[in-house]
Amino acid sequence: MALRHLVTGQNNCTPDGASSSNPLNALANAFLGQSSKAQSIKELPGSVSVPSTSDFSTPAPISNIPGAENEFKQDQRPLARGADFIRGGPANDWIESFRPPGVPQLGVEAQFRDFEQIYNNTGTTFQPPLDGPPQRVLSGVLHSFLTSGPAGVPFQPLPVPAALGLSESDKQCIRDRSCIMARHIFSDQPEEYIQAQVNTLLHSLDIDNRMRGPMHGHYPELQEYWNQSQSSMGPAPMHNAADKWITEFDKQNNNPENWANSFEQQYGPNGWASEFEQHQSQMAMGPMGGANMGNLAAMEQSRMLAQTLASNNDPKFQNSKFFQFVSKMSRGELIIEDNQVKEGSASQSSGWADEFQTQYNANANSWADQFEHEELSHGADKWVSEFSSQHNQGALNENWVDEFSKLNVTDEWAEEFSGGGFGESSADPWVDEFQEHMSSFKQSSGTSRGVYVFSENNPYVGHPNPMQEGQELFRKGLLSEAVLALEAEVLKNPDNAEGWRLLGVTHAENDDDQQAIAAMMRALEANPTNLEILLALGVSHTNELEQGEALRYLSRWLQNHPKYGGLVPPQSTDSPYGPDVVRLFNEAAQMSPEDADVHIVLGVLYNLSREYDKAIASFKTALQLKPQDYSLWNKLGATQANSIQSADAILAYQQALDLKPNYVRAWANMGISYANQGLYEDSIRYYVRAVAMNPKADNAWQYLRISLSNASRADMIAACDARNLDALQKEFPL
Amino acid sequence: MDGSSLKSAQLLELMRQHLATDAGKELTKKVGLVYQLNIAPKKIGVDEEIFVVDLKKGEVTKGPYQGKPDATFSFTDNDFIGIATGKTNPQIAFIRGAIKIKGSINAAQKFTPDIFPKPAKL
Repeated sequence: MALRHLVTGQNNCTPDGASSSNPLNALANAFLGQSSKAQSIKELPGSVSVPSTSDFSTPAPISNIPGAENEFKQDQRPLARGADFIRGGPANDWIESFRPPGVPQLGVEAQFRDFEQIYNNTGTTFQPPLDGPPQRVLSGVLHSFLTSGPAGVPFQPLPVPAALGLSESDKQCIRDRSCIMARHIFSDQPEEYIQAQVNTLLHSLDIDNRMRGPMHGHYPELQEYWNQSQSSMGPAPMHNAADKWITEFDKQNNNPENWANSFEQQYGPNGWASEFEQHQSQMAMGPMGGANMGNLAAMEQSRMLAQTLASNNDPKFQNSKFFQFVSKMSRGELIIEDNQVKEGSASQSSGWADEFQTQYNANANSWADQFEHEELSHGADKWVSEFSSQHNQGALNENWVDEFSKLNVTDEWAEEFSGGGFGESSADPWVDEFQEHMSSFKQSSGTSRGVYVFSENNPYVGHPNPMQEGQELFRKGLLSEAVLALEAEVLKNPDNAEGWRLLGVTHAENDDDQQAIAAMMRALEANPTNLEILLALGVSHTNELEQGEALRYLSRWLQNHPKYGGLVPPQSTDSPYGPDVVRLFNEAAQMSPEDADVHIVLGVLYNLSREYDKAIASFKTALQLKPQDYSLWNKLGATQANSIQSADAILAYQQALDLKPNYVRAWANMGISYANQGLYEDSIRYYVRAVAMNPKADNAWQYLRISLSNASRADMIAACDARNLDALQKEFPL
Repeated sequence: MDGSSLKSAQLLELMRQHLATDAGKELTKKVGLVYQLNIAPKKIGVDEEIFVVDLKKGEVTKGPYQGKPDATFSFTDNDFIGIATGKTNPQIAFIRGAIKIKGSINAAQKFTPDIFPKPAKL
């Protein structure tokens, strides 16, 4: 029934495609309109050559939802997918893990038959048979529950024979974990809906749901963190929260082995970790091959680490908890963290992400992308957040390390480890190995840049003319609104270079260079010679202190200029030499001294080479030609600030703000100038203004926190960490 | 700091100038310690560039410290930037193995984001 809904329900939800009133579907359609990846996947031989046993004539809308695509294919070709399915996603394993005690574990073959039977028997109804061994019944029910997520149809209560033989602890387990799963499955739905779904499920299974609520029973700490992560808009305080979290985690796990044990209990020693891995390999060979290579490489790496560790013959080491921990991690946990760390560096597809989460995702099925996505918009719905309260993007890959360092503090190796960290005693090969591994994480997190992260629940999706709306909002200075409208535009028209460019400009003015860079890169893809885009990329990379990149784009600016392009020698400019580029631009400036743009680029170039006096002179020249350009005033101010002329800088910023009062970047720069002069109280007011206008301005939040601590306003740090704008604005009015 | 392609070098140049200002002098008074930073482009210990942030004299110089610094840090370019801009918590970075520290732990603990000036954005 649920699967039937998957087919028909989708159609009902999207009567006329992208202009649907259902925002989720509209979003998905909009995503897939531009997602050539998703389309090419369908065309890959692996999926096409499989004979279809389905007589459904409406595959299109289903395959438009990446998560649903899998479900559907399972039904289409029960034989081909059955085995995958059994060994498949963690979601399925989740079901399997509810096997009541006493029911013997069936071999894969037997399970295979089970499912085959289910899909063959049920024919067109797709109703899992609700008789037979309790295990199968349970699997059926839970699977229906799961599929109701991607299908977007409420889970229908299923009649279940009374005696399932579930023990109290099984019930407890189902109750707890279905709540968690429901959050992922229905992460786009309101809390009441999730609870209603869970209640329906529990009722079906005759489980007493007295302990109703977001999370139950023995996870009060997690619940608290859940709520925290729900209420806070974004990154919570690394410092305090981390400590607090560790303490609480410790409380719960006063025995350091608990965590690992419970993990094992839940998933079996070779639990879903290895299944997940297996699934990943299958995926890699299947339709998603190319996209998955990055992920595979990462797994390979973690396996290598485990092997290296295993090759150490020291029995003490072999028995150490660290080793056990790492090998466990390398099988499952680490891969997940890996995904997370590798945010979007390739469109990795992870099994369970596919199962139920991809409906948000633009061009990547990547779990990590998803995570980051959620992270930026409304806190984290992901299970990782249940473990962690560190929301800082930079800190994502630290979570498990924290857990593990805290868990094992009483153990011998931990001392060894910190000893190694401290002094030169890192001679032990494994320490080096471990650190090498860690640094490879960091590098990969560095490459996560450049992937544009869309906001969720964008009200402008479906707007008839989001581009015009975005331009209008931008002109009015409503930057955060303009971002939403422009995102809707580029979702609709992914090749709209101007849409991407304006989106990038808006992010830059909103003090978010990473998003600005990501948007500008997309703009450049659509229009590789646009001078404004090249300049914007040069500026943003300069702000991120990425000299090489900045220089490359600015050099391309000159190359592509209709008038000055001839100045550039024909050789390739893959890694241009700074002084050469400056010289060419000076020639250009001599050619046409009235061209403000040349002076602007020169100013940026001198910033790169830290010749601030020349940079200031260039910007001033440009300002004589373009006195109304607020971003130019800000550039002048920033250059003055970076050459320690903070008082002058503030005057320039003030000019920029007079011309554009909602210029978040200038407000944040004001704060920086005051802070660098040691005027922390003043800086706080400007930072607060900046974050009030753009609550996603992470840099400004970080600086605000530093200024609060410098100004001895530790009392307000909690408000800062909770991103409590009301309290901050009340305390620090401008 | 010239001739270095590290992001950190740009920040340290800003630091160098910052130490000449009133706020910078305040800082030397408050901290009064000498830090040596071994900054690697990608991997700790590989192709490190060495800088000294002398918060006794109020100087930033390139090359190893003549004498014994109060604390020596080894980290990668990105990690140093993360710490100096408040993105990364130094303690967590240390636990994570992203920082190696030699010298006085008390001195190391005063190495916090707030001693660094923040770069303004164009």
